[in-house]
Amino acid sequence: MSLSLTRGAQAALLVLAVAVITRLLGGQMAWLVGWPEALTVPMTEWVGAAVGSFLSVFKPIARFFSLLLSYPMTWIGALLGYAPWPLVLGGVTALGWMIGGLRLAALGFFGLGFVVLSGYWAESMNTLALVVVSVPLALVTGAAIGILAYEYPRLKGPVQALLDIMQTVPTFAYLTPLLVLFGFGPVVGLIASAIYAAPPMARNVLLGLERVEHEIREAAVMSGGTRRQQLFLVELPAATTQIMVGINQSLMAALSMVIIAAVIGGFDDIGWEVLLTMRKALFGQSFLAGLVIVVFAVVIDRMSGALALQRPAQDRRVAWAMLAAGLAVSGWALAAGWNPDGVAAFDGVADRVDDAVGRFTATNGAALDAVKNNAMFYGLLPLRIGLADAVLPFTWGFSWTAKHGAIFYGATAAIAGFLVWRGHLTAGLVIGVLAIMLETGISQLPWPVVIVGAGALGWVSGGWKLTRLVVILLGLILISGLWERALLSLYLSGASVVACAILGGALGLWGAVSETAWRVLRPVCDLLQTIPLFVFLIPVLMFFQIGEFSAFLAICLYAIVPMIRYTRHGLINTPEELIEAAQATGAGRWQTLFEVRAPYAAPTILLGLNQTILYAFAMLVIAALIGTTGLGQSIYLALGQADVGLGVTAGAAMAILALVADRLVQGFAEERRRALGL
Amino acid sequence: MTKNSSAPAIAVEDLWQVFGPNATAALRDARGAGSPQATAEALENKGLIPAVRDARFEVRSGELFVIMGLSGSGKSTLVRCISLLVTPTAGAVRIDGEDILQASEKRLIELRRHKLGMVFQHFGLFPHMSVADNVGFPLKMQGAGKAERRKRAMEVIELVGLEGREDAYPRELSGGQRQRVGIARSLAVNPDIWFLDEPFSALDPLIRRQLQDEFLHIQATLKKSIVFITHDITEALKLADRIAIMKDGEIVQIGTPEEIVLRPVNDYVAEFSKDVAKGRHARVESVMLRDLPTHMPDDPGLRIGMTLDTALAKCMSLYEPVPVRDGTGTVVGAVQPADLAAALQVDEG
Repeated sequence: MSLSLTRGAQAALLVLAVAVITRLLGGQMAWLVGWPEALTVPMTEWVGAAVGSFLSVFKPIARFFSLLLSYPMTWIGALLGYAPWPLVLGGVTALGWMIGGLRLAALGFFGLGFVVLSGYWAESMNTLALVVVSVPLALVTGAAIGILAYEYPRLKGPVQALLDIMQTVPTFAYLTPLLVLFGFGPVVGLIASAIYAAPPMARNVLLGLERVEHEIREAAVMSGGTRRQQLFLVELPAATTQIMVGINQSLMAALSMVIIAAVIGGFDDIGWEVLLTMRKALFGQSFLAGLVIVVFAVVIDRMSGALALQRPAQDRRVAWAMLAAGLAVSGWALAAGWNPDGVAAFDGVADRVDDAVGRFTATNGAALDAVKNNAMFYGLLPLRIGLADAVLPFTWGFSWTAKHGAIFYGATAAIAGFLVWRGHLTAGLVIGVLAIMLETGISQLPWPVVIVGAGALGWVSGGWKLTRLVVILLGLILISGLWERALLSLYLSGASVVACAILGGALGLWGAVSETAWRVLRPVCDLLQTIPLFVFLIPVLMFFQIGEFSAFLAICLYAIVPMIRYTRHGLINTPEELIEAAQATGAGRWQTLFEVRAPYAAPTILLGLNQTILYAFAMLVIAALIGTTGLGQSIYLALGQADVGLGVTAGAAMAILALVADRLVQGFAEERRRALGL
Repeated sequence: MTKNSSAPAIAVEDLWQVFGPNATAALRDARGAGSPQATAEALENKGLIPAVRDARFEVRSGELFVIMGLSGSGKSTLVRCISLLVTPTAGAVRIDGEDILQASEKRLIELRRHKLGMVFQHFGLFPHMSVADNVGFPLKMQGAGKAERRKRAMEVIELVGLEGREDAYPRELSGGQRQRVGIARSLAVNPDIWFLDEPFSALDPLIRRQLQDEFLHIQATLKKSIVFITHDITEALKLADRIAIMKDGEIVQIGTPEEIVLRPVNDYVAEFSKDVAKGRHARVESVMLRDLPTHMPDDPGLRIGMTLDTALAKCMSLYEPVPVRDGTGTVVGAVQPADLAAALQVDEG
């Protein structure tokens, strides 16, 4: 019998054995549950010392660079700050017209018009100034990296690994070392956003160049071009579309980071405004400021996104007329002595929103609390600390006793036994493991279970090589003393990912079967993906106050989108012949969906899950602002104390978790793709 | 420069292209095995891919040399070796006597700017340039000014029959028009040597035939030395002065269309010409007797250079040998009508 065990069953059996042993012996042997203090390496201090001394070498150069950068920033800031808003409005409208005709001109006009009326004009211009300076920096660096990786194939592997790491290391973790290097002030935000925005550009430039048709490259060679001529006259222009996608992503990343960087303070920008009003619980104001950010993001995204599309040339004269109109209004405003920056039509609105939210929470407070408490008591808490600890008279109305435990495990054994009897050996074993996890709680899982479990998953999804990688990486966290915090992060992101997978999968399915549903879902997804991370905190905070549930909701809001998109995409894009073949054999609509479309879509859906996991980790750190425990909180605290060691190690631990999850899911997706011959 | 007027336009000598790690060293070792077949086998056993094996041939000045083979036979790799788009693992490629494998990067660019032109299967047009800019691009590389480029581009555009479309972009053109642009671009610098890599394979049959005819027409006036790649035996027979048949990286036969059709060296080559109407490609000379028989009662008017089909049509009811005359009307040989029919026999095997 043991000879015929599948890979999955063997792995599950091993994990179950380890889980049972640690569960039974954990009471007597504490070292089986928590990693002994004595064996913990003071990695935080070591990293702090190493990075600290490293940074101190570069500090003078960095400070000089900082000084250098402060000039263009001041100039652009002054330029945008002093420019009368009608002129900027006219300029953006004209730009919209040139890029995408009437539609984008209208978007630019109404978008910026909203910003003007909101009364956050000056703050918005400060944010825009940061973006305007950081993006060219990111684009040039990113393009240079992309081109180098393309020109020297030997560099490609390391560069891609570096880009992977740069995008998995959480945003806040960048900030602490930068803070030490460059000192307080807006330049840190600028550099952080340039660093954060460069990888998408590098990736897309590399991808675009690699996708240039073989024969186009050869034609350039046969025309007698030198290498430089081939690159700049043929290959880069032929890759324009992909590079434009890079510019779009780079812009969005920069905007997102500029807003996050506001937590450092020192610059009177719109992100700071949100943070400030949020701290004062002025939800009306922070909602309005958040809306301004959203409008900004939408305008920038749609305009730069349109650059990558095939588009007809627009009449230049219309653009000049728009600009002239802006100039004329500015002139008139100056002549009439009317302060053009003083428009704030929404001043009262913010207060009214505030009142409304206040009234709403006051009247529906009981209902909101019920939602929150139910989710906490029956969902999040048991996941976090286990049924054994979470079931209390205060939460569930009774306390968990040995009798409950026996019933729980008895039921589990029955279900698992039934599954095994029906031939689903692996499923039965997995149920057993999950039951132990639920009873113990993720944050209290014994370390051997986590490491062996992840290693076993790695073995199933990608073989020994992946197992080795996973075990070594997790081992690093284990001995670093950040293990407990890592488990807390794992719990919250895990809970969010599971919620996103279920709900997002269902919504994606709905979008796949109903065109009408997708017409509703699509713009929502588009919007959610355009909004900078930070803004997600505002609505959840408005209704559920600071706490883990709010963080959970914020993570879900952000991380659910890829799950919806990929599920639908995978289900929709089954080859037509397969569907026809299924219909020809008499399959009904739902039969086709589950027997043909779903298996074919599995690799795509797994990739969606992968994206969802990465998104959840990214948001986890931001959510630390509104109350999470774990690594995210550590990173945030490190930023406040300029503690490089803690910031870097916690950031690295976070990146490791994301990386491990990413590799595991990718491995499964790859395996499915191979099985389908894709 | 080692220009040598008596040398063939292109000479390829024991050319090898091996893909895989450390190909050069592996090939050197494997060649100890002796014959090319043994060498290739040794390389394959080591997990390397010998894509071109010991290729050797010459292309005479003004000759249209076709390399024919199925996909994966190494023909595209071979043409890329000759044009040095990939560097061969071993061997020599002489262009007008000059071994271009030894040439510096600078000299290569020089050669490509003035002497070589290439047409690609999927056209390889620059998507961001208009037709005129695409065609003028090689001239731009030469350093020609804007006005000069435009002038010359217009000439070649006219040559390929695209006048009026010079300001269109590739995406606005049909497949046939795109390949006309590709041809025009490759001719812009008036190269001596012209590489065409399956230029008509991506086109639908009607357009393909039309472009083949125009191509022959252009070649009749320009007289380039051509290496033409195709997987289509009919196209090869129609266009070629000589054909090289490739199989698994090896050239199995080089010969005129007639030789390929009538005297295939092995079953593989014979298989290709099986469905080909031989009568259209072979000529009377191939079955002509030099010794004149004494008894020739009929004279249906056979001439040197007549295809077998035409000759057979003239001798349908004849059984005795008939005379064959040259252009001046002198009898140069005789043909047995039965031999004509036998030569046309398609092997059923």
